[in-house]
Amino acid sequence: MSEKKQSMTVFRSDRHEDVAAMIFAGLVVLFVLGYMAFIVPEVHVTAAMDGKVASILVQSGTEVKKGDTIYTLEVVEKKWVNNVMQENTVIKDITVKADGKVLDVPAKVGDKVKKSKNTIIVLNHVKGTLP
Amino acid sequence: MEERGTLGKLAAIIPGLALMVGTLAVLRLYVEPWMGEVTLFGVKGWLVKVLSLNYILLSIITGMLFRNFIFGGRIPAWAEEGFRTTRLFIKTGVIMLGSLYTLQTLLKLGVSAAVLILGFVFGTVFLVMFLGRMMKVDRSVTAVMAAACGVCGVSAAVAAAPGVRARPVDLALAIATILGFGILTMFISPFIGTALNLSDFQYGAWVGTGILNSGQVLATCLAFNPNIAPGTAVAYGEVWNVVRVISIPFVVFAITVWYWKGEADAKKASLSKILVSKFPVFVLGFFGMTALSSLGMLGAEGSETLHLLRTFMAWIFGIGLVGQGAYIDFREIKAAGGKPLRIGIIAGTTKYILALIVILLFMPKEVGF
Repeated sequence: MSEKKQSMTVFRSDRHEDVAAMIFAGLVVLFVLGYMAFIVPEVHVTAAMDGKVASILVQSGTEVKKGDTIYTLEVVEKKWVNNVMQENTVIKDITVKADGKVLDVPAKVGDKVKKSKNTIIVLNHVKGTLP
Repeated sequence: MEERGTLGKLAAIIPGLALMVGTLAVLRLYVEPWMGEVTLFGVKGWLVKVLSLNYILLSIITGMLFRNFIFGGRIPAWAEEGFRTTRLFIKTGVIMLGSLYTLQTLLKLGVSAAVLILGFVFGTVFLVMFLGRMMKVDRSVTAVMAAACGVCGVSAAVAAAPGVRARPVDLALAIATILGFGILTMFISPFIGTALNLSDFQYGAWVGTGILNSGQVLATCLAFNPNIAPGTAVAYGEVWNVVRVISIPFVVFAITVWYWKGEADAKKASLSKILVSKFPVFVLGFFGMTALSSLGMLGAEGSETLHLLRTFMAWIFGIGLVGQGAYIDFREIKAAGGKPLRIGIIAGTTKYILALIVILLFMPKEVGF
């Protein structure tokens, strides 16, 4: 059985490869957290889910705190009631994830947006926080 | 083979690694978006939505094309060292997969649902082990097939493979079986769901339990109800699927212990000693990442920080999967015979039908989350 193992690693052993993978993953996480917390000059906050922008509660220059609602999104929810599918349009409050100042608001009320694709606001977040 | 210094070894890695990264870049930046726009059979993005042809599958398929058609059956010497970084990328991706989940997500689901899902996961694992023993199939093949059929297909099989010293062809067989089975169930499930008047919750729970591959769970749910929002089939199916994915480390642990116990018995060595020296410790990294995610140290859910982290994860996985595909040799698959395929089909079908029966008998139309 042991003979069938192929040399599929550039490391001395599988254990070395495991440790290298953990270090690699750790470095990626540190890079992303460090970059987002301290280096990125401005953050493009994208749509939280698919839907239609119902309202935008901030404008250029608005100071925001983590947890503040920055826009609302109209999404379609489906529910079964007594064996019948009912579609409801609901409004979802979307909050900001870090303190900061709004630099720009590219989205407009009525825009159809896709999750993680369309930018809603551009934020200059407080350094050291994770937007 | 001549001895190389560290710089020489690093330089030898570059050509193959560059090919893997370049291939993924083309697939992710050009091919996948193009497929999302193409209209087939009247459905925009049919290739992605119905065939589940995302970058994961495309990476594996392209790697297979490299080896079996472009390279003429073996990875050329100039690319060999680069392709040997494959498992490093896959293990790193598996560790980062832990960032997708939090303990809070699990708690939302409720104890009875979690017990049901884990019952199916481990029940399938034991069934595959039993069938493997009955059909006298190699333990590595059985182990990878057990992970693939028990949990969620590709990622579980990929995570289990290094710990049980599975050959690329073992992994290829497991992946081919579950994807083939998944494509079949993907087409028939929406019809069954509609015919039985299943609610989104029931359908999501069934598909999330019975279909073997995460991407196909998503596609099958969207085929039933194309809306993506809380309360839809895809939302329920994904929560169900998350629990299965969270069980990956536990399943990998159980399967690895089973495999090495067999090895220890064969070599008359101590199981604990073999586990200490051979256990795939990278699995612990997955737990660490889930712990960080649960504590909110990777950014809030929905934040751009988590989004960037997951983008990195997708690229790392993709690079590894191009390499993984290049280790799959069609001749080896042919030589392996049909037993693994039979095991996968028996286990998959049993799980699919049993899950539907349980859902029909015990699951209400609606739940409160």
